[in-house]
Amino acid sequence: MIKVIAACVIGVALAGAGTFAVTGLFTESASTVEPVNETLYNYGDR
Amino acid sequence: MTAEGREAVGERGPGRWAPRLVPWATGLVAGVLALGPALGRGYVLRYDMVFVPDLSLAAVLRGADGFPRAIPSDAVVAALSAVLPGGAVQSLALLSVFAVGGAGAARLLLSVLGRVPRTSFPGRKAPSAGMLLASAAAGAAYVWNPFVAERLLLGQWAMLLGYAGLPWAVAAAARLADVRPVAGTAGLLRALVPAAVGGFSSVVLTALTAGPTVLLTGRGGRSRWVRAGLFGSALVLVSLPWLLPSLVSGAATDPAGVEAFAARADTPLGTAASLLMLGGVWNSHAVPAGYAHPVPLGVRVLMCLAALVAWVWVLRRERPVFGPGLTVAAVLGLVIALAGTVGPGRDLLAALISAWPGFGPLRDGQLYVAPLALVQALGLGAAAHWLTRDASASPGGRGRAEAAVSLGAGAGLVLLPLAALPGLLWGAAGALAPAEYPQEWLRAQAAVAADERPGAVLVLPWSAYRGVDWSGEPTVVLDPATKLFDRRTLWNDDLVVGASDGAEVVVEGEDARAREAAEVVGPDPRTGLPERLDASALGGLGVRYVVVSASVDNQFWLGSEELSVVVEGPGLTLLEVPDPHIKADKVGVPGLEVTSGLVTVGAILWSIARSGSSLNPQRFASSAGAGTRKEIDQ
Repeated sequence: MIKVIAACVIGVALAGAGTFAVTGLFTESASTVEPVNETLYNYGDR
Repeated sequence: MTAEGREAVGERGPGRWAPRLVPWATGLVAGVLALGPALGRGYVLRYDMVFVPDLSLAAVLRGADGFPRAIPSDAVVAALSAVLPGGAVQSLALLSVFAVGGAGAARLLLSVLGRVPRTSFPGRKAPSAGMLLASAAAGAAYVWNPFVAERLLLGQWAMLLGYAGLPWAVAAAARLADVRPVAGTAGLLRALVPAAVGGFSSVVLTALTAGPTVLLTGRGGRSRWVRAGLFGSALVLVSLPWLLPSLVSGAATDPAGVEAFAARADTPLGTAASLLMLGGVWNSHAVPAGYAHPVPLGVRVLMCLAALVAWVWVLRRERPVFGPGLTVAAVLGLVIALAGTVGPGRDLLAALISAWPGFGPLRDGQLYVAPLALVQALGLGAAAHWLTRDASASPGGRGRAEAAVSLGAGAGLVLLPLAALPGLLWGAAGALAPAEYPQEWLRAQAAVAADERPGAVLVLPWSAYRGVDWSGEPTVVLDPATKLFDRRTLWNDDLVVGASDGAEVVVEGEDARAREAAEVVGPDPRTGLPERLDASALGGLGVRYVVVSASVDNQFWLGSEELSVVVEGPGLTLLEVPDPHIKADKVGVPGLEVTSGLVTVGAILWSIARSGSSLNPQRFASSAGAGTRKEIDQ
């Protein structure tokens, strides 16, 4: 029984994360591009 | 067909090749899915990841003052670039991270599960479908996690190559207790090849991850210290190309790096939880897209907890010989990673680095969750094994249904790391995209290469990083001009890191000649460019060329009669300093780097020749009890 529950949890996790990957990921990635019109850049920002 | 029958068929059929194929296939498929367009034609440029056409081996070996951070990874790239295009070498290097890492973790788990308990079959067993799924889950989790994604987005491919070698190093370290010293050392040297290529950080990570296994495996007493001596000697042997030059360089490490490179929270759950989930990189621009979204975050939390519980389960049930050592390494690594996040820890690290620059690698805290990544990967594989272990022994209709559910759930665990971190998919959601170098860059490289007169290249603007959009995807990268030319380059190796409060932390560079050049350049802090350049002062520094590797408004060379334009394009201008001013001697390749490199290469060749293959079968005993041996192909 516990394995069936575990299988259901895995299925739900895959479905949820898969849906997010399709719908939300590319919107967010497009909004976080870095500017390139500067002369000096930091190594990074915390 | 009964379970016994199925297994018998497996030994004659796919069971013979599946245990070899599945681990490598897992790593390769994960690599293709993660890199995607990055494997195409051109060069992927991102932060520390800089590949250029025809990288000069002599220039890499001559290097700069300070620690030789580019050795040996750039030396290997330069050697391979002699026979392959630079872009292909980069694709090979990046794909190797996934293939070697995924295969290593998958095979390490197979070695743990390889002994099928309560079986009447003597000798070696073919792994069941469930075991293969478990090994694939371990391989996928090891190369598809926040640590790999963030370090890849930071461009640290060489360190990741060392990370990929960790499972192999752990297996070889465990084997030291089970074979004769010469055979064990040879196996260890073969397993350390990725760390040897990766260099500084890779070797430190390997020492942390495999070191406790050496000390906690097998018999204690004198035998333990003999193994520790062999392990230490092997690490020194593969480190010689950068270790000896580092020891004689006299360079120092700026303790300001502790604050700049400490781990940080990249999720709403805090720094400790971020590290526990293998994230927490210091650079907020190196976090994959969608990383902190509640859905994948929730999946990662569940996956992380399940993997840790399953790791405890497999430790108790199978008692892998490397289990205690790897657990100690994971805990120790997490402590080091957390040290830089609290005041007393930062003070301690800064004091250590001030006392001896060799402690410098400790400043980048998140690096040390690498052993925890291996623990979690093996744990996820163990969870898949728990789900599927009875699947092949369930006869009848209901049994077949249960087996199907179990195997389906196991397959789901193989895919779960991908679902929990979709931001790594297909070139990290487009962040890793190849680009060709603009023509003016190639013309400048050729012009400098055609000039046999000695003299360095000064790189402007006086800042290490540039923003480029050659691929159409804007990215920040270490100025490729620092590696483009076949001679010494002088560039600003200070590292500027933006703090969360808007301030900046400057980590002072290590190149003494760059400090002298800064005084001559006198750059405007807003643009990194000088008002004018004095040719005689440049000549006094041994500078023959000045390259302006960005599109700039301040064309300071206009109106100057001393600097002549050699190449000019939209994003790069190459200037030449008149010959009479230049005081430069021809610089040969340092003998120390060459000699130590040859010793390392010779030792590795010896270890490979001794086995006839770098992937020879190894076996080591389980700590489950006397007489129970596990045969593995690690």
